[in-house]
Amino acid sequence: MRPLRAGRGREVAAERDAAAAAAAAGAGPGAAGRCRGVVPGPAAPRPARPRHPPPRQSLDFWRLLYALLKQIHGGKWTESDAIDNQIRFVKSALWYHGYGRPELYQLPSNGSAGSRELLLAFSWLLHRLSLLEQLLARNRVKTGDETSVCMCEDDLPHCQRGTTEIAPEYGLEGRVDVRYLQWLNGRLRFQWRSLHAQHQEQCKLLHKLHLFTSGSHMDQILGHFSITETDLVRQPENYKQETVLDNMAEEGNMCESQDAHVEKSGLPKVTSCCPWADSLTGQIDKLSRDLMTLRDQLHELVTCRKAAWCEKVKTRQEELQKEWFSATARKIQESVELKLLDLAHLCAPKKNKMHGSGRLVFRSKHPASKTGFSRSVSKEPVSAVSATEVIRELQMREASLERELKQLQEECRQRLDEIAEGLDGVICISP
Amino acid sequence: MLPAGCGRRLAAALSAALGEGAERRRELEQRAARSRALLRRWASEEDEQLQPEAGSSNGHENRPSPKELEELELLNRALEKALKVRKSILKTPLEAQGVVGEKSADEGPAPKSAQEQQVPASVEDVPVTAKVKTVSKKPASLKKPSPYKLRAPYRTDPDVKKPQRKAPARCVPQGPRTAGKSSSKGLLPCKQGRSHRTAISARDREACAAAEPQKTPGFSRSALDEQQSFSVGDSTGGKNSVAAGKWLFDARKKSCGSLGESSKKEDPTTEGALGRSTSPRTVTPQEKGCQLKLPLPYRKAYSRNSRAWERCRLCQTSADAAAARNRFIERIQTTFCSPMPAFSPAEIEEELKVLQDVPSLLSQYVEAEPADHPTLQREYESLLTLEGLQTTVSQCLHKLQLLQAAVESQMRLRPDCTGDVGNCSPACVPPRGQTCDSAGVLAVPLLCYSSFQELRDLFALKLQVSMLHQEIALQKVMMAELLPVLESRLYPEASAAQLYRAIYTQLCEGGKRFPVLVRDELAD
Repeated sequence: MRPLRAGRGREVAAERDAAAAAAAAGAGPGAAGRCRGVVPGPAAPRPARPRHPPPRQSLDFWRLLYALLKQIHGGKWTESDAIDNQIRFVKSALWYHGYGRPELYQLPSNGSAGSRELLLAFSWLLHRLSLLEQLLARNRVKTGDETSVCMCEDDLPHCQRGTTEIAPEYGLEGRVDVRYLQWLNGRLRFQWRSLHAQHQEQCKLLHKLHLFTSGSHMDQILGHFSITETDLVRQPENYKQETVLDNMAEEGNMCESQDAHVEKSGLPKVTSCCPWADSLTGQIDKLSRDLMTLRDQLHELVTCRKAAWCEKVKTRQEELQKEWFSATARKIQESVELKLLDLAHLCAPKKNKMHGSGRLVFRSKHPASKTGFSRSVSKEPVSAVSATEVIRELQMREASLERELKQLQEECRQRLDEIAEGLDGVICISP
Repeated sequence: MLPAGCGRRLAAALSAALGEGAERRRELEQRAARSRALLRRWASEEDEQLQPEAGSSNGHENRPSPKELEELELLNRALEKALKVRKSILKTPLEAQGVVGEKSADEGPAPKSAQEQQVPASVEDVPVTAKVKTVSKKPASLKKPSPYKLRAPYRTDPDVKKPQRKAPARCVPQGPRTAGKSSSKGLLPCKQGRSHRTAISARDREACAAAEPQKTPGFSRSALDEQQSFSVGDSTGGKNSVAAGKWLFDARKKSCGSLGESSKKEDPTTEGALGRSTSPRTVTPQEKGCQLKLPLPYRKAYSRNSRAWERCRLCQTSADAAAARNRFIERIQTTFCSPMPAFSPAEIEEELKVLQDVPSLLSQYVEAEPADHPTLQREYESLLTLEGLQTTVSQCLHKLQLLQAAVESQMRLRPDCTGDVGNCSPACVPPRGQTCDSAGVLAVPLLCYSSFQELRDLFALKLQVSMLHQEIALQKVMMAELLPVLESRLYPEASAAQLYRAIYTQLCEGGKRFPVLVRDELAD
């Protein structure tokens, strides 16, 4: 099957030209080789092109980069975007990924010049970002039961949307009763609960399917079918080659959108020039505040414990002179270091952390099962993440989110307590 | 009542959230229907036909349905009667507190049980959780020209003036009702024989008192679920979610449930029990499943695809390709602007994402260190750990400073930002599915689970995290909107207390529990 469908079926005309120079529009093999060939190093001869290429080529090149980068950034690209918007987008995206050649950013925004710069930028993107692999991964037909491994989508800083302007469906002509809001909130909670039940049911169905089809897949690593594959077996007549590609792509989109719902808050629009920097600074500030409180807390704790420890040591000096103490002390130090090493790993970004979606595969731990580990471990070119790891990370994330929520609620409580003092004649007893 | 703008915005935010949730449900339902169809056809089981409760859909309506209004009507009548009963009890002399307490305890259930028959009969078919929610939220009047008028039990002026001192003393949880439930109803002192609260709190009690008797089995289960359905770490979580599932999908027959349980425990290759629990046939779904084969064109395409990916991977990892790549990257990076910030914007975001969880993780470690130690070694160990944590904290703080500096220098380098918010879009949407290590992740990465429980935990946790994200966002919006309303006294004075209580509930208790407002009247 064709893993790459540029622009979901929409062809970019210029792609072929640029592709000849840079990389294949098809599968990856040979891409690296071809890239190597065209990189103009300082000693390499200039590529055999006219000195001033007609503007058409650089324009197309800009469009190519735009199309590719838009796919990476998850947006819907439209050919009708004006060229200067497209160019601006490409420049922003390159900046975002850390491309630092000033010549590129100085290129004119009518697209009339710059093919050499664009070629350099493109090559850099291919290597640095693994652009082709990302596109392939994005555009591939999803034959498995995919689910996202990370919660990255949920972490997006709030992209402002015009929810503030949208009035709810039934025209609120004037004031809104707070009880209506309470009711909406209750419905929301109920909705989550039903979603939960639905998910659990889906899990059960998935698991049954996986169990029932274990051992049938020709790929030993997978071992069993997915929903789509089972459907394919049951109803092969529904799946012509072309419709398979389309439907599976649809499924894939559905799978991804299942997990990628971001709460777009109704915050008023930020008027500053760059919401990106603001939101990042906000996050940094909040984290710094939390860490500083923690630091102060730790400082107190440590000083006080140290004092107590010194006291104890003084009174038992003679005992501690003996050798056992230094030996055990060393052992204790090592064990503490190990413990903290774990922590340090968690605090640093993992280089090979899984992102995106993975195919759900049931691997039973039962040694006697047919699809045991023995056969599949032998060749393992595909990276596999175990659900236990993902669960652990999710638990950490859940814990920190709950803390955040509790902090917010605490803050509200304090403010409301202050307000309560202003209300006459009423005493509030919290639950 | 809330000022117009504020209320509208909040309603819009909540409605948007509801809309998203409804969409998610629809998509999930589609997938589930597909899976069910597959399994049903395969195993020839008729009992896979499951319809989610009709009442639980309808995410689009932003006002309660007529059925819900009807229920509300009935509940209100029940409340009225309860209030009358209470008033008649209160008329007895005040000294016999204990006696009265008991008597009201006896008489209380009696009239309520009389209504018990009436109310559940009419509302059986509606999901009880909807009732619970509507009662606790008390949407008595939902929009200005409402078909449903505010009724007497919801009257908010105090109807009895009694010394309030007695009030806090009695927090008697009703035994039969609050069995194990610590959620909204249980916390309110449910029934005071002659408590002397104002009608504000009286309303709560009556609400819960009326709600409690309508205890269909599903009700208690759903209330339990309220507490427990999201305690995923809990080992009984699985059971409860299954219970929740059973409640919502009433039509499910036992065999499905048992199939699920049994397949969980059994070795996938055993046949017997599975075969026996379905209709008596010679071939079990398991056996059939093992013999399935994918159609030939698919297999051909699949193997071609795997080979292509394999070639691609080899190409990527070959040594000279890697060397040439690195040479190129180094050379081009020498031409970048000279004081390049330490982190690219993408890297800054990545680092921040990792650091999000760190404070809470570190606090957990700190709290895990006990205050007292039996032996000297333990104390030493604890001390070393704390010091290590201190260093980690300062390292993280340092890193944050570096990141902040990087943000600022990147902003300076930024290609022209015209000030239009829309143009900053690429930076707002980090690439999804970023593959950092290309060699390992060319083909589809696998997510392996080893048991049914793991799969369920995985999905439950993901949902929980999404829900928390949404809650936090909504909390922030509501704080921004509602607190100023109270602080600036923009409301009619008469409704101050209700508004306060509603806002308190929403902001501080997540809408689940209510504070008690007591009128400060001294009877001297």
